[in-house]
Amino acid sequence: MLEADEKTGLTTITGLDLGTNIGVYYHVRTSKSFFTIKAEVPKENPRLKTLIDIHPGALFHELECADLMGAIFEGNELNGHFILSENWPNGIYPLRKDIDLSQVKLVPTPEHETNKSAEGREVKIIIGPQHPALLEPEKFSVTVDGETVTKVEPRIGYVHRGIEKSAESHTYLQNTYLVERVCGICNPCHAYTFVATVEKILKLEVPERARYLRVIALELNRLHSHLLVFGHAGLEIGYEAVFQYFWRDREPIMDLIELTSGNRVFGSLMTVGGIRRDINQEHIPKIKAVINDLQSKLPFYRKIYTDEPTLRLRMKDVGILSREDALKLSVVGPIARASGVDIDVRKDRPYEVYNEIPFKEIVYTDGDTWARMNVRMDELEESLNILDYALDHMPAGPIRIEAPRTVPIGEAVSTIEAPRGELLYYVRSNGTDIPERVKIRTPTLANIPSFLKTAIGESIADVPSNFVSLDPCFSCTDR
Amino acid sequence: MVNTKTWARVKSPWVLHFNSGACNGCDIEILALLTPKYDVERFGIKLEPSPRHADVLLATGCVTHQCAERLKRVYDQMPQPKFVVAIGACACSGSVFEGNYNVVGGVDKIVPVAAYIPGCPPRPEAIIDGVIKLLSVISTPKKESPVQAHRAEPAIAEVKQNGKQ
Repeated sequence: MLEADEKTGLTTITGLDLGTNIGVYYHVRTSKSFFTIKAEVPKENPRLKTLIDIHPGALFHELECADLMGAIFEGNELNGHFILSENWPNGIYPLRKDIDLSQVKLVPTPEHETNKSAEGREVKIIIGPQHPALLEPEKFSVTVDGETVTKVEPRIGYVHRGIEKSAESHTYLQNTYLVERVCGICNPCHAYTFVATVEKILKLEVPERARYLRVIALELNRLHSHLLVFGHAGLEIGYEAVFQYFWRDREPIMDLIELTSGNRVFGSLMTVGGIRRDINQEHIPKIKAVINDLQSKLPFYRKIYTDEPTLRLRMKDVGILSREDALKLSVVGPIARASGVDIDVRKDRPYEVYNEIPFKEIVYTDGDTWARMNVRMDELEESLNILDYALDHMPAGPIRIEAPRTVPIGEAVSTIEAPRGELLYYVRSNGTDIPERVKIRTPTLANIPSFLKTAIGESIADVPSNFVSLDPCFSCTDR
Repeated sequence: MVNTKTWARVKSPWVLHFNSGACNGCDIEILALLTPKYDVERFGIKLEPSPRHADVLLATGCVTHQCAERLKRVYDQMPQPKFVVAIGACACSGSVFEGNYNVVGGVDKIVPVAAYIPGCPPRPEAIIDGVIKLLSVISTPKKESPVQAHRAEPAIAEVKQNGKQ
């Protein structure tokens, strides 16, 4: 199948506790469809064959499933921990149902790591967990020979809060707010994907106006997220003026988010059955004014990111990811589109009203940091057009329908195009008002392997600009 | 001399930001403070990357087990006198993540906290207000200012003891 359709990719692997068995569900996307391959292995001996030899993109997903659910992937054995703390006791898998986690006692252990590695010439440089270039705690051990990077070892999990487990003890209503707090940047995406998945199990039809309002919320989020990364990228390469410009112009978008949702960051707009707040008709001219203002500034921004000599020097031909590698590693979002892989969930599997709204799918073929930023720049324009269209064509009517508190037995998967790429939620219900399993696959987890590949052989000075072009979000990655 | 030191500290506090398991919401708001709309540099506040140069630690997040040790280490590396500001509901109490298997709880379980700024996330104005309040406390000439009185033995010792049992 991998050969038949070159765009076939593994989105994630969900581990499930099915009582006596462990369920291992492979969520696979092709150019046209999305489906799940289900496997079950006995709990006493949960062994499976690894996929990394035929599809390297499975690496992180297998490790995560092994760490949290205890499945063993032969050929890709977990050494130590992947996402859990290093001092977490072996043999205790938090996502299994039969484990009493309140009994687990952890002893804080100091980290032992020296900057020198064994082989003479090479030196290990440790970036993180507290580092000026990283807003979030995460550790990357970069081995360099002279100035050339020879190896990058990531250690993720510093922001692992156990949200997937926590969701299994909260009601669907509470979970809408809980999953929103997976990430402080793309929070409407998380809330939306969760409610959309629950609506699939409930077979609810959401009113047309709510669907438009949801698209408006998601696109406003994309705008602020992209403006954020443009500024952040400037900061990472030491170009602070760019940071100040973009963040200055991000504030009007934050004001719009506040205007439409009532809060700058966590709008809590999404709810099962619709949306919680309507847009006031009097506010539409205000929103349009901000959109027009941003549109008039776009040529200037575009000039910065396409032609500005400093940025070109730091970004052009840095971190080149070839199309073949992008497909093999199953990268998503702007990173895939910058390498010539035309995947965009909004086009491939349209949700809400994206099939009614005209917009272009942005694809670049350069595959470098410069292309990744320019994909986002073009998406900024498309987002503004989508917002404009949605505000004009939004029908009148109710904004939500009443949804039952309990959800019948069933399971569903939803994927959306978050600012950083494809976001997946898998929800399994057991007939009560509390879900049995909520699986979250965030885009950054799928994109980090591409950085591990592209950083090799490049200068250590290019690591920040290469890395920030992934628009990494570790609170999403670790959950 | 003491007065000069206090004067310098209050006029230009250098702050260090440490994320101990936050969702980015608070962290982005802290970064937004530096941008033209809020611009805290007008109060002399400077974001400083090294703990050894910092006066104030802006701690966010619900302290995960991986970060607990590091948070303590960052705090220990800061020179005296030092103040911790817990920003956001998570840093204040653990918020919605309280009781999760990988979460220790509020920042005050690991390091002594001088000021709490609640909110999910707090608005930039609220963060400015909190930091200014802290500065006014630092500048009070009293020997036993509320901030000093609040210093307690960090709770990480308890965590260690529990682990040994």
